Amino acid sequence: MSKIEIQHLSVDYKEKNSHFTALKDVTFSVEAGEFVSVIGSSGCGKSTLLSVLEGIHFPSEGDVLIDGTPVRGTGNDRGVVFQQYSLFPWMTARKNVEFGVKQARTNMEKKERYKIADEFLAKVGLEAFKNKYPSQLSGGMQQRVAIARALAMDTDILLMDEPFGAIDAKNRTILQELLLKLWEGDGTKSRKTVVFVTHDIDEAILLADRIILMSTNPGRVNCEIPVPFERPRNRAALVQTVEYSAFRNKLLALFYGDIASKIGGDEVVL
Amino acid sequence: MMAGKSTDRRETISLRKRFFRITNLLFLVLIGIQFLPDQSANPALSMNVIWFAAGLEVLVLLVSAVIKRQAGLTLFLDIVGFIYVFLILWTLASAKFMWLKESLFPPPGRVFAQFIEDIDKVWVNVLSSLGIIVQGYLLAVVIAIPLGLFLGWKSRVGNAATYISKFLSAIPPIVYIPYGIALLPTFRSVSVMVIFLATFWPVLASTMSGVMNIEQKIVDSARVLNVNAFTMLFSVILPASLSQIFIGCNQGLTVSFILLTSAEMIGARNGLGYYVKNYSDFGDYTRTILGIIIIGIVVVFISFLFNRLQRYLLRWRR
Ligand SMILES: Nc1ncnc2c1ncn2[C@@H]1O[C@H](COP(=O)(O)OP(=O)(O)O)[C@@H](O)[C@H]1O
Ligand SMILES: [Mg+2]
Repeated sequence: MSKIEIQHLSVDYKEKNSHFTALKDVTFSVEAGEFVSVIGSSGCGKSTLLSVLEGIHFPSEGDVLIDGTPVRGTGNDRGVVFQQYSLFPWMTARKNVEFGVKQARTNMEKKERYKIADEFLAKVGLEAFKNKYPSQLSGGMQQRVAIARALAMDTDILLMDEPFGAIDAKNRTILQELLLKLWEGDGTKSRKTVVFVTHDIDEAILLADRIILMSTNPGRVNCEIPVPFERPRNRAALVQTVEYSAFRNKLLALFYGDIASKIGGDEVVL
Repeated sequence: MMAGKSTDRRETISLRKRFFRITNLLFLVLIGIQFLPDQSANPALSMNVIWFAAGLEVLVLLVSAVIKRQAGLTLFLDIVGFIYVFLILWTLASAKFMWLKESLFPPPGRVFAQFIEDIDKVWVNVLSSLGIIVQGYLLAVVIAIPLGLFLGWKSRVGNAATYISKFLSAIPPIVYIPYGIALLPTFRSVSVMVIFLATFWPVLASTMSGVMNIEQKIVDSARVLNVNAFTMLFSVILPASLSQIFIGCNQGLTVSFILLTSAEMIGARNGLGYYVKNYSDFGDYTRTILGIIIIGIVVVFISFLFNRLQRYLLRWRR
């Protein structure tokens, strides 16, 4: 049994007098401790897929199972990071993390919760900013806090929807490496199961064990590609290898080939 | 850059900026004109003005010496400067040149003297008025906010309750007074009821509209944390709609004072409105003016505290 099983999932958005099929017959599974990236062009239903896993949207058809049980709502077995606005603006960074821990560990004492909050804020390099409000932090710092919160909640599953999508290129690189380091850990604890949505191919290759490529209209799975690179991964070393370029090109071809077939032409001018 | 922010806040203010300000000059002018000959028939009791101004100026010098932020100092000095200008014009217009009719506009010294004489009575009336406001207002806020949170949350798309509370908050609450008098035994209970209604509907309406305008992202963030209904309502929905809620609370507070003082002028046996009305009926304009000034001070003081509370509770906003 896989950690997450998505079986023939379809999601329709019902509007006034029309149906919009955001996802059509999506099937794939994620093993425990696996890092899966979902990539696809914007509008192909990545966020919709994740919101079903989060438990805030429900399947029109098919089902989503976690540990063999159908998802019937939100649960404290899943930690979530959105692209933006995951944090509560009226709570300090520290309070935001503590609040998350409180929801996930209902019988933990307050002192212990704050200790954990401090520990994880230190891990993301924000111990000096823990008493700042989100409005006093840059976008990158806010995402660090959101990641710290998701990790501090110590859930089996992490769901991330383009968490670095609104961050500038330099900080995005830093955050990717931070996430990679924290997720890979030092081997003493079992890794978390991660579903990571992105539209950045390099980000997906660097982070994921496996890539799910989605296509649009209706949103569905195009193909699944295992990422053949050893861990722990080092970006600087990795991107210089021939294997990396070859793999990246293969992915690009699949990605854009899909778009080309959609427009009906053979060539895509970028 | 941000870590250093808290230490950068201590500014240095030059001696000139601290002590040689227009406000200090106005103080000297105010004292100076007190020594002009009086034209009024009754004694102007100018010493009272001198004592008051001297006390205020001591406070000004103390604050000027210790305050850390220049913006705060300027604000404080501007307010005191305004009081000095007011007293200068008043002194000149009454005691010194008699531009105003003496029986209607007694000189400031007499009003200060009256204040000292009546201080117990004034205090009783202030407490009476404040007691009614606090009761009616707090009761309304304590009921309207949770109810608004609940109703707003149950009907995030907008429904009858929104329109009804908007409609009811637009009715001038003064129209409830006749019914209050017919239904309730004492003037005090009528006042509490009217203030309750004057506050209840606007707070309910603004709370509901606040809840319905919360960004979906905030709600989703809370939902994916698997919060329970109570936490959702009071730890997420409430703070997220707080700035809207304050709009209704502000409206309620302003209207409450207007209502109460008017109501007290109509039918009360104590309270600040009663104080003003009663003495103006007897032609005692010294006490009438004193009452008006006290009402002004109370309103300014309450609004100041309220603003402080609002700023504190919304300190997380940019
Ligand atoms: N609440 C909604 N109601 C109607 N249509 C929606 C809603 N949310 C998303 N959609 C539509 O569903 C499609 C997939 O959206 P989304 O899952 O956000 O895609 P992605 O995250 O891959 O960009 C888009 O065409 C979008 O317009
Ligand atoms: Mg999306």
